[in-house]
Amino acid sequence: MKKRTSAIAMALVLLSVLIFTGCGEKEGGNAKKGNSDLKVAVVCSGSGQNDNGYNQSACDGIKETAEEIGCEYKIIEPVNGVPEALETLADDGYNLIFSLEYDFDALIKGVGGSEPIASQYPDTTFVVFNDNPNKDDSGEQIHKNVISVLFDVHEASYLAGYLSVQINENMEKLFDDSYGLTPLDTARGIGFIGGTNSNGILVYSYGFIEGISKAAEEYGVKYDYYAKYDAGFTDSALGSTVAGTFFDEGANVVFADAGVVGDGITAKAKELGKIAIQTDANLDTQQPGHVLTSVLKITGVPVKVITKSYADGKIAEMDRLQTYNLASGATGITDLAEMGKHVKDTAVWEEIKGKVKKISDQITNGEIKVTNKQLNEEFDEAKCPNVVIKTK
Amino acid sequence: MDFIGGILYDCLYHAVPILLCVLGGIFAYKANVLNIALEGMMLAGAFVSVLVSFQTGSIVLGYLSAILICMVIGLIFAFFGVTCKGNVIVIGLAINMSITAIAGFVLQLMNSANIKLDFTNAADFKIDLPFIKNIPLIGDILSGHTVITYISFLAVIVIWFLMYRTKFGVYVRVVGENEDSAKSLGLNTNKYRYLAILLGAFFCSLAGINLALERMTIFTNNMTAGRGFIAIAAIYCGRGDPLSCSIYAIVFGLARALSVNLSLYAGAAAAVFDVIPYVVMSVVLTVVSMVKYRNRKVRGI
Repeated sequence: MKKRTSAIAMALVLLSVLIFTGCGEKEGGNAKKGNSDLKVAVVCSGSGQNDNGYNQSACDGIKETAEEIGCEYKIIEPVNGVPEALETLADDGYNLIFSLEYDFDALIKGVGGSEPIASQYPDTTFVVFNDNPNKDDSGEQIHKNVISVLFDVHEASYLAGYLSVQINENMEKLFDDSYGLTPLDTARGIGFIGGTNSNGILVYSYGFIEGISKAAEEYGVKYDYYAKYDAGFTDSALGSTVAGTFFDEGANVVFADAGVVGDGITAKAKELGKIAIQTDANLDTQQPGHVLTSVLKITGVPVKVITKSYADGKIAEMDRLQTYNLASGATGITDLAEMGKHVKDTAVWEEIKGKVKKISDQITNGEIKVTNKQLNEEFDEAKCPNVVIKTK
Repeated sequence: MDFIGGILYDCLYHAVPILLCVLGGIFAYKANVLNIALEGMMLAGAFVSVLVSFQTGSIVLGYLSAILICMVIGLIFAFFGVTCKGNVIVIGLAINMSITAIAGFVLQLMNSANIKLDFTNAADFKIDLPFIKNIPLIGDILSGHTVITYISFLAVIVIWFLMYRTKFGVYVRVVGENEDSAKSLGLNTNKYRYLAILLGAFFCSLAGINLALERMTIFTNNMTAGRGFIAIAAIYCGRGDPLSCSIYAIVFGLARALSVNLSLYAGAAAAVFDVIPYVVMSVVLTVVSMVKYRNRKVRGI
């Protein structure tokens, strides 16, 4: 009897394994041989290489460039932490390593009394993203072989804010009855939901507010701004209800910068017939018609630029701190094609797109200056008289 | 929807997955099998329901398959924990971790950070109760929820009845309190433990379906975010009594709703409400164990 029960149980276990694993096919290996002696590697951050955004863009960039110049590349999802992955890759003779995780201590300063990885492997070039950790207290550069890459996402967020007000003011012409937008005579509100209260998140919010203010000034109206900066990065149901409270309060557009929590926010936008804005990757098709645009951080662009200059032997001449702005194509908002399929009046829509383009040009040529919280610039509320910040 | 109504509506919204897990865990708790796999089972319910609906285009199949898979997981848990007499904490932990890993693996294969259903809308799952929805405030709170939300509140009564007014409930409690005397009465103790665990798996699958399929029509990995563990705490605070455990689950939902809704006015300070249920539970657990052990003269019982 006992044997039979265990046999049945084992069969059930096997069955469930089959059910769970039978859903897709295995991908091929990542490492690829090439004819050049350049070997490049990408170390992914926690969300993994298929995140449809930040990591994936870098991985695609490296694949393309490697094929173009014929070099060997490898993509790593670290299991034992970033430092170990960096050491292993450098040991294996990789000359150019991109590290996407926000984890620099072992690389720059060394942890646990050990020598910094950057000085252990002086012939390897390391590229880090989203911060400039490669400087000591007096601001001097520490390692020659570390390049820091920053994205000017505040400029892209500014465009998103500007665009949000534009569509909100023109809602009657743009959106049909299937949307449930709060009419202008009831309230004018816009929301922002971020994963954690840090400069990396605030930089989006501040750029966004300034963009809203700019457009609100054009229309001579005031917007309420609701923000939550501690929604985390996992609980999508929480994101969904927070977005719900913002929408109930009269906001029609909510900016989501919180990883998969953002997926809950766009789901809520679809449920209530409102609008959301996504971040990092082009997620406009996530809930078609309810994602206005995405503020992009296209890691593939710096990956390509840096890899190519390494292949051309110019890596030593490159700046150790590189910022990629709107003009570089590494940041920006999407081409709005997806939203364009859902609007009623395409003439108004094209007009709005033209206005956004104009603002984008003004940012590129320096006429408009956007606060960059990433470089610790202070945000001045008084400069945005047309935005009432309800929550901080 | 006015402000108070919004808070109370959200309170139910956040309380239901925890409440269902609590109901699922109570029988296992009473049968003296600590089911820490509530979290994993709930995640499995969320994952399978959305995945199957996505693949087949059928919501009903999504519901059924989620329940089925959770029962299978319950069987695995019961087999190792009861038949093989393994350590239930280790087994539960293994289930929790493997569900996350399996879901992550499938998401990776699908090349996506989430699974979402395009053919349906979360608004379609809401049921507007006739008449009641027109009553101010009460209508805001009671109307417009999903099927499983209503089921969960009925289930509190059903579970209470099952535990205190049926033979089954008495047997499960006897098995938990004194296995030897249960055996001496000729009870098949393993059978009652299996049933208790399977009942738990069933309710966890409902919790998962409610969280992912009904409320959002979307699955993201780890979306249960510790709700299963909060349910365990609620079970301990209520000492396995269906009504008091449910009240703890609702307290948690209320605190969550307050922290979300008040953040509109108080900003980040509203997050303090997220702390309150934990403080309440710590105090209650301390008092409960102080009372329980007050008259004990020997340590370690």
